[in-house]
Amino acid sequence: MTPAPAYTFEWAAVWRGLPYLLQGAGLTIVISAVAMALAAALGLALAVATQTGGRIVRSAVDAYVELFRNTPLLIQIFIVYFGLPQLGVRLSPFLSGLSALVLYAAAYNAEIFRAGLEAVPPGQHEAAQSCGLSPAQALRFVIVPQALRIAFPALGNNLVSLVKNSSLVSTIGMVELMFVANDISFNNFRTFEIYGTTAVLYVMLVLALTRVLHAAEMRMARVAS
Amino acid sequence: MRSRILAVVAVMLVLAVGIATTAWAQSTLDTVKKRGKLVAGVKTDFPPFGTVDSSGKNVGFDVDVAHRFAKALFNDEQQVELVAVTSGNRIPFLQSGKIDIVIATVTITDERRQVVEFSEPYFMSGSLLLVPKSSTAKSLDDMAGKTVAVVQGAIQDRDVEQLQPKATRVKFGKVSEAVLAVKGGRADAYVHDDIVILSLAKENSDLKAVGTPFMPRPYGIAVRKGDVEFVKWVNAQLAAMKADGTYDRLWKKYFADVEGNLVKP
Repeated sequence: MTPAPAYTFEWAAVWRGLPYLLQGAGLTIVISAVAMALAAALGLALAVATQTGGRIVRSAVDAYVELFRNTPLLIQIFIVYFGLPQLGVRLSPFLSGLSALVLYAAAYNAEIFRAGLEAVPPGQHEAAQSCGLSPAQALRFVIVPQALRIAFPALGNNLVSLVKNSSLVSTIGMVELMFVANDISFNNFRTFEIYGTTAVLYVMLVLALTRVLHAAEMRMARVAS
Repeated sequence: MRSRILAVVAVMLVLAVGIATTAWAQSTLDTVKKRGKLVAGVKTDFPPFGTVDSSGKNVGFDVDVAHRFAKALFNDEQQVELVAVTSGNRIPFLQSGKIDIVIATVTITDERRQVVEFSEPYFMSGSLLLVPKSSTAKSLDDMAGKTVAVVQGAIQDRDVEQLQPKATRVKFGKVSEAVLAVKGGRADAYVHDDIVILSLAKENSDLKAVGTPFMPRPYGIAVRKGDVEFVKWVNAQLAAMKADGTYDRLWKKYFADVEGNLVKP
């Protein structure tokens, strides 16, 4: 029986890796931010389409939502990155990762906004129209702003998930935070130190995002009252 | 917000110190004998050392070595649990105790020597390029300004960085993904150990192996750092396999058709 030496931490490895980790965090922020904006816009557009469009539009959106909510994001990323080139569609790694993230998050956002739109009392539609607004104007100025406020907390949760899910694009060679963590720890084998630091960086990113979302929510509440 | 981050860091440190100070173990050899089963990390996407056949069974040179070790330990070659590992996670798997031993085409390097104990070399491998059949590339020299796929954690990541700094490296977690990258035109070449490139070229009619094996280095079997007793046992087994003809038999079984292109150990 020989006692194995206790693990000795080597925080210098973190220090050496920090610039590279921060560079990765930069790409995580960029891809998450762009994906969030696009996924929110696409989700809202789809939700409005289901409320105003005909039966065909509604079933098409439903099919999209079910397809993208019920398959792993990793498969979607692989289909876009590895699968589509075989059909002649070759998006750059960034666009492959981004489009998979957007399509996945937008499927959830569409449902979130749909619930928000449906939660606006029917009296609001009638009131808006009796004020002389066209259906489109009623939607734009009366219904959607209220729906946004109702949907906002759920939307925020989904955006937080999006930041964490963006780590999956590391599998297609995107040099974001998770990729960098793998890259460093696979070479220096300081697994705990590197992944631990990476986890802390994700916590910081997500806490910063929740702050922004909270401020936005407060602002919306103020504007409303 | 700052206090929350500090709280997260504090929790992780407590966990880490708690785990690190309780990490006292006996030689892996004793643990394995007591358990009645060897847990070995092998590759599943690295022909002909470690792959999975159509029935889902692990096959390959390294897999046969693992079975042979089980036979030596328990007189039953089935008393081995094979855990799928990649170039990136095999050493962390060993360090974290998920596996007892890495029999997964680990090239012996000085950096890795600092964190694991290596057996005597059991194979020599240089590096080659896997390119589309239509490619005119002949070697790494032709990869300036091109995209080269490598596997994260494999030595070729650094080799390509040094030998062809003008190439853009794109890194994947698995061999299969790097191959897909070449097939899909995502990368102009995939650089890895000669033996796997030759095998992949043989299996994929749309791809070919090019180059002459460069930077040949030995493979070793890895066990946890400081476990001298276990590494001695592994070396004795390797010597026995060479003495009784098992090694030659495995060599013929797995490498006969590409033998001419390999660097001899």
